Amino acid sequence: MTVRFAALAAMVCAVAAGALLVGGTTLSPSAIGAALLHPHSGEIATIVWQLRLPRIAIGALVGAALAIAGALLQGLLRNPLVDPYLTGVSAGAAVAIVLSISAGIGAAAVPALGFAAGLATAIAVAALARRGASLDATRLILAGVSLSSLFAAIIALVLTRVQGGGSAPAIVSWLAGTLSGRGWNDLAFAAPYAVLGALLAFLSAPALNALRLGDVRAAAVGVDVGRAQWTILASSSLLAASAVTLSGTIGFVGLIVPHLARRIVGSDARYVLAASALLGAALTIAADALSRTLLAPAEIPIGVLLAFIGVPTFLYLYLRDRRTAAA
Amino acid sequence: MIAVRDLDLSVAGQTLLANMSFDIRNGEFVGMLGRNGVGKTTLLRTLAGLRPIERGSVLLDSRNIAALAPADRSREIAFVTSDDVFADRLTVREVVAAGRYPHHRWWQWTQEPRDAEAIARALSVVELQQFANREFTTLSSGERQRVWIALALAQEAPILFLDEPTTHLDLRVAQQILKLLRAQVEGGKTVVCVLHDPNDAAAYADRVLLLADGGILAFEERERALSAELLELAYQVPMEAVTTASGATRIFPRHPA
Repeated sequence: MTVRFAALAAMVCAVAAGALLVGGTTLSPSAIGAALLHPHSGEIATIVWQLRLPRIAIGALVGAALAIAGALLQGLLRNPLVDPYLTGVSAGAAVAIVLSISAGIGAAAVPALGFAAGLATAIAVAALARRGASLDATRLILAGVSLSSLFAAIIALVLTRVQGGGSAPAIVSWLAGTLSGRGWNDLAFAAPYAVLGALLAFLSAPALNALRLGDVRAAAVGVDVGRAQWTILASSSLLAASAVTLSGTIGFVGLIVPHLARRIVGSDARYVLAASALLGAALTIAADALSRTLLAPAEIPIGVLLAFIGVPTFLYLYLRDRRTAAA
Repeated sequence: MIAVRDLDLSVAGQTLLANMSFDIRNGEFVGMLGRNGVGKTTLLRTLAGLRPIERGSVLLDSRNIAALAPADRSREIAFVTSDDVFADRLTVREVVAAGRYPHHRWWQWTQEPRDAEAIARALSVVELQQFANREFTTLSSGERQRVWIALALAQEAPILFLDEPTTHLDLRVAQQILKLLRAQVEGGKTVVCVLHDPNDAAAYADRVLLLADGGILAFEERERALSAELLELAYQVPMEAVTTASGATRIFPRHPA
């Protein structure tokens, strides 16, 4: 297991190093190395420290946060098809952000608004799914899906109203997911919430292992089921809201990475959460690097790119599994 | 000892079982019988502290079970249910390892040597050592039932509650499981087990708790509780008693001639 985690960590480092090398300006590894050591040494240092590094750090945070949140919710709801946006976090954040962009609210306030609206939606969904002290999985899914579709309708309405207006491209780019134009300040805003969410996630891992065997069995082995469910939901909402605030709605990572992680480290929630974080980070950094190089100088939205690469890969793995199982 | 006093149980506002007072002694095998829907599972879950109590009390060694912290309670009582599960790619060992939860702080990540020992012991009791690394979903229903029992044994709790551990199992596997439970009782554990076949209760239980509409019909030594008259009242079908070659009494529904 140590070897597998060492390999995953090495992969994150390798991908991050690779991502440092690519971009609008071609830089040699030695120039980048020098710039890393001397942050205030001129134009190259500025590119490295103000453009590429924050983007890699944000990619790592977004990918890790989405993957952990997905692994948490898949385990909590005992449903492999769940993604971190199920609790309405992204739809809530999207509505707030779309409305504030179209209303011309200053860019500085937009992430905070999105974050708050995302969390508020998750709380509303949780309140609808509450049964006694615990949460009802079916109701949680129903409430999340219905609120999300309501918000999607509102977004569609806003988009038809602003058509041709100046704010439409900003909205579309946000909805498709992008890491462009984000910097250390954005990261500093979202990171504390993501770290808190990740901490709660890792503390909940033993309870999550028991919850996967059913609420009754979890309670029978001494899990405080209500408390564990609320902690896991709070954790996944904090993580998803931090990610959405930074990158818009990036699909695929939160749904698929936990499955890939389980293939590598097995089903134990402790390992799945840690491996999901590393894989999610590596995948998002890599996808972002590709998204800004494939059609440079144009950028492909990272969400689109992830779906194009990820979905066929996943279907291949899934179908191969099924064939092996049938044989 | 578990002491039940003036316990009422209701589901969705309807009183299911009322005015129950009885004791379960340490080291005995109690078989619980009654028609479907009479409240066996509800009673068992309440005794195990897994359901809130509206009226009356359940005392575990004179401590109110509702006031125990979940992990403290789970070191005393293990509960086996056969509900199906999204086991994903969990291995048998990982499933059984969940039984160690009450012995850890809730955030504790690492397993200690005594955890590994408890898991290995539990697997060996149910004779599944060689299945430890198999994926749970590849097991047969009898093997799965043994895994659920191993999970409970890994808890190392002195009291074991089991909700229909032999349902859906063939005769041989069902008898294996009942023998295994009897061996646990001989080893000092208390076992309370919901059963469907009165003759299993007659063969393995010390005392039988017979439930009928609204409450307890009888809680007696097995010979007294398992009379044709009481079982007719409990199941509302005509019964007849048969004496076996070894002199034991067995009871069956009266079949058409």
